[in-house]
Amino acid sequence: MYVYRIMLFLVFGGYLLSPMLMNGWALPGTAWYRPFLIWGGLIALTVWLEQKRKLDEH
Amino acid sequence: MSTSLAGLLALGIGYLVLLMCCAQAVERGWIPTRLIHHPAVYTLALGVYASAWAIYGSVEFAASAGYGYLAYYLGVAGAFLLGPVMLMPIQRMTRTYQLASLADLFVFRFRSRWVGTLITLVTLLAVLPLLALQIQTLGEAVHLLTQAASPSLLALLFCLLIAGLALAFGARHTHQQARHDTLIAVIAVESLVKLAAMLTLGGIALYGIFNGPADLQAWLDGPGLAMQARTDQLDSGQWRTLLLLFFAAAFLMPHMFHMVFIETPSRRALLQTSWSLPLYLLLMALPIPLILWGTQRLGIDTTTSGIAYLAFALSESPWVDSLVFLAGLAAASGTMILIALSLAGMILNHVVLIAHPPDNRPDLYRWLLWLRRALILAVILSGWLFYRTIGIKHDLATLGLAAFVGMAQCLPGMLAVLYWPGANRKGMVSGLAVGCAIWLLGLWLPLLAGYPALVILPPGLESLEGTPGWYAIALISLSSNILVFILVSLITPTSEGERAAAEACSVEAVVHPKRHTLAAKNGEDVKRHLAQALGADVAEREVTNALEALNLSPLDGRPYALRRLRDRLQANLSGLMGPAVARDIVDRFLPYQQDYHATSDIHFVESRLEAYRTRLTGLARELDGLRRYHRRTLAQLPIGLCAFGEDRELLMWNDALARLSDIEGSSVIGARCESLPSPWADLLGRMIDSAHPHLYKRAINLTGELRYLSLHKAMLAAEGDDRGGTVILVEDHSEMKWLEDELVHAERLASIGRLAAGVAHEIGNPITGISSLAQNLRYDTDDPGLHETADQIQQLTERVSSIVSSLVGFAHSGRHPQGSHTTRVNLHQLCEEALHLIRLARSGQDIVYSNRCPPELEIDGNAQRLVQVLVNLIGNARDASQPGGQVEIDAWSCEEGVRVCVTDDGHGIDASIRDHLFEPFTTTKAPGQGTGLGLPLVYNIIREHHGHIQIDSPPPDRTHGTRITVWLPRTQQDGEDSDAPDFDR
Repeated sequence: MYVYRIMLFLVFGGYLLSPMLMNGWALPGTAWYRPFLIWGGLIALTVWLEQKRKLDEH
Repeated sequence: MSTSLAGLLALGIGYLVLLMCCAQAVERGWIPTRLIHHPAVYTLALGVYASAWAIYGSVEFAASAGYGYLAYYLGVAGAFLLGPVMLMPIQRMTRTYQLASLADLFVFRFRSRWVGTLITLVTLLAVLPLLALQIQTLGEAVHLLTQAASPSLLALLFCLLIAGLALAFGARHTHQQARHDTLIAVIAVESLVKLAAMLTLGGIALYGIFNGPADLQAWLDGPGLAMQARTDQLDSGQWRTLLLLFFAAAFLMPHMFHMVFIETPSRRALLQTSWSLPLYLLLMALPIPLILWGTQRLGIDTTTSGIAYLAFALSESPWVDSLVFLAGLAAASGTMILIALSLAGMILNHVVLIAHPPDNRPDLYRWLLWLRRALILAVILSGWLFYRTIGIKHDLATLGLAAFVGMAQCLPGMLAVLYWPGANRKGMVSGLAVGCAIWLLGLWLPLLAGYPALVILPPGLESLEGTPGWYAIALISLSSNILVFILVSLITPTSEGERAAAEACSVEAVVHPKRHTLAAKNGEDVKRHLAQALGADVAEREVTNALEALNLSPLDGRPYALRRLRDRLQANLSGLMGPAVARDIVDRFLPYQQDYHATSDIHFVESRLEAYRTRLTGLARELDGLRRYHRRTLAQLPIGLCAFGEDRELLMWNDALARLSDIEGSSVIGARCESLPSPWADLLGRMIDSAHPHLYKRAINLTGELRYLSLHKAMLAAEGDDRGGTVILVEDHSEMKWLEDELVHAERLASIGRLAAGVAHEIGNPITGISSLAQNLRYDTDDPGLHETADQIQQLTERVSSIVSSLVGFAHSGRHPQGSHTTRVNLHQLCEEALHLIRLARSGQDIVYSNRCPPELEIDGNAQRLVQVLVNLIGNARDASQPGGQVEIDAWSCEEGVRVCVTDDGHGIDASIRDHLFEPFTTTKAPGQGTGLGLPLVYNIIREHHGHIQIDSPPPDRTHGTRITVWLPRTQQDGEDSDAPDFDR
């Protein structure tokens, strides 16, 4: 259940801070795949949280 | 860019036929069910979210807003990241209460059928532009590729084909809650096709137009930089609003609601989508900028109209064009099929059935099925009509955003369903009405009229001037919606029904329904009541299905079982006709008894708590742990325990009572005391009514055996708690009663023994006198008649002496202090001595005796008393044997002792008296032949020697006869307790 709170924090934190990220993506000289790299990182984090949740509930 | 129309039609139709073949393969079981139910397949099916917007609209959006196009994917990814806290509770509700759509959920929560109608109308209005968007992409793609004159007619052809697929996959069952494996598999294939197509297109752009990622980066930093600078970056407000709109779309759009909540194969699958769906969307989003940059590199003007279809310009190859077309067709058809299915269900339940309730319709299932089919067709044709008349004039972003802003008006209501039990119907309807009015006037009606969005800014929001219409309208409508919703909910009262439904929906709350009693008596009675509304056949089928699902008997009359049956019926009918009609039917035809004081249904609450266990945290988890501990204590108490509510409904029946009564708790919990099986109904009923709290040693017949039960009760009334009742402890005192009876019996036997010893002593002297006189008589006369009389008198006095000596011997048994005469004795010699005594008797002269005891076998014991044992055993064997029979005495060493067996081949011992042979005065001999004291005496002597005795009749290796086995320890220890295993009795 504590994992759920981390997820809530992640989603709402991400929602509030996402415009800053978006401005960073658009800067000249930034790698074109950077947004996707960050997105992939978030997915990896979610997979890890999902594994933790499973352990937490067993 | 000109492809033959026939070729393109063949490609499109061929693809749809391929889907049909896939559906057939699933239907016929050619594809393993395990594969179809795999979470990955479900994730792909959820990919239906990536509609034609993801193929064409995203390119259009990326061309104007750069990375802003990612909001479409990130918004939904955020919603699925919150799956465990937001999607799971909704999924649980829809599953528990058989809610098939957003309208069903709102009707259930806000307790009004008109709320369902309102939500259905809002959904219909919001979804029409989205449907038109899908159809427009089909028409435009065909037009671009073939330059056909009438793209709208070609789009109509595809619409009809897609409607056919929707009817084939999703409209075979009347129950909307039924999972459709075929539908899931087909939508998953569609998602796979569009993903493969998009990744191929991205690959073509990256490696066909650019020379890999490095070249692309170099182009972006060089010539492409100016082109990227021309895009309008979304400001933070617009970005957040877009995220919110797509977040809401993830579960509010009818097709997404259907796929997320109704088609879920398992909880695990839904939880896994928190990362698997974002991964799928990442792969779908990745090729979009590559396609855009690729076409920019090729020098194609990306600022003109029609930029949504830039992918067609990636290559001159007809294969690439076909790939783009297939991706668009897969995306559009999947979305259209699911929207049509879910929206048709909503219209059926919340518009058609509200207007025409199906009272006692004989062909209800057929009628409902055909209505659904007609509505599916109507929804798709309405989409086409909207596209033909209105959508054709607008770009994809305008149509899509109009739909998403409209659907987001239901977001405040949905969040209130989950997190705000204080929200009420008036608040929700007022908020929704205000929000929708602003949306309709600002975005939807201008769409109809072909005007840009109409934005009237209220004072204080002048900063929104000059911003895109969709953004201003979304902000104003949603803010007004939320504000009005909260204010009206706070001001107006909330009904009792809404409060109960709010508790049922709330994430944290546990439902605690009341223990009402139904007017119907059992399942059969429920069928009769329901037949008035549904007709006999449908009622029979629905009640039978519900009973099977609950594993109940039609004759089960427990109030608890009937309440569960009523709930299940309401849920099943809700899946058939929507919650409003279902509730109406159930309330009318399966009413509760009115004149009845209802209390909380503790058993049901407990079963729900068990289901919620893993979701509890902190103090709640600790409390639940304590509750489970106390529950376990009561359930596993080694004394029978049952608890009744004030209404005499059984709430608890613990394991010990289940074992004692041979009645499982699950079969009686929830029953009234009067309907418990005999003799419990009478016994417990009297105990509840009794003024005395105890009832001692009540004899009752349980499964053919007389048992003695003591009952103790306590009243559970507590101040400030309506959960009163009675708890009853049931103690089985049968064994104690039997022990008491045995003690009395033993005491009686002891009295007889003492009496017999006294009598024997008194008789002994006169008998000796009679014997002497008889002997004198022999010497005093020569009369042969008198000699014979004297002999008979002497024989009879010997017989009396023998009886007297047996009685004295038995009475004196147990009085010999152990060890007082213990010596080392040779068993062979003992046996010979016993045989010598036996052979002295006149009877049994023709019996063959075999002493097979090894000469070296010795034990500690009282030789005189052990001879007494052997004489008795061999004597009994002799008496049981036929003339010429054989009696064998064996002995051998065994672990820590010696076994001695006396075996005969006589008539054996009757089973009925075998268990009582060691009781005094039990004999197998004819009256006058045996005293019944020999074996009790043997038993006592063997016990004194810490041995034990066993009788086998017939012995395991023979067909007749008897074998008596005596085990004796090799050595006797002083003060040893007589604790040898007592398996001989």
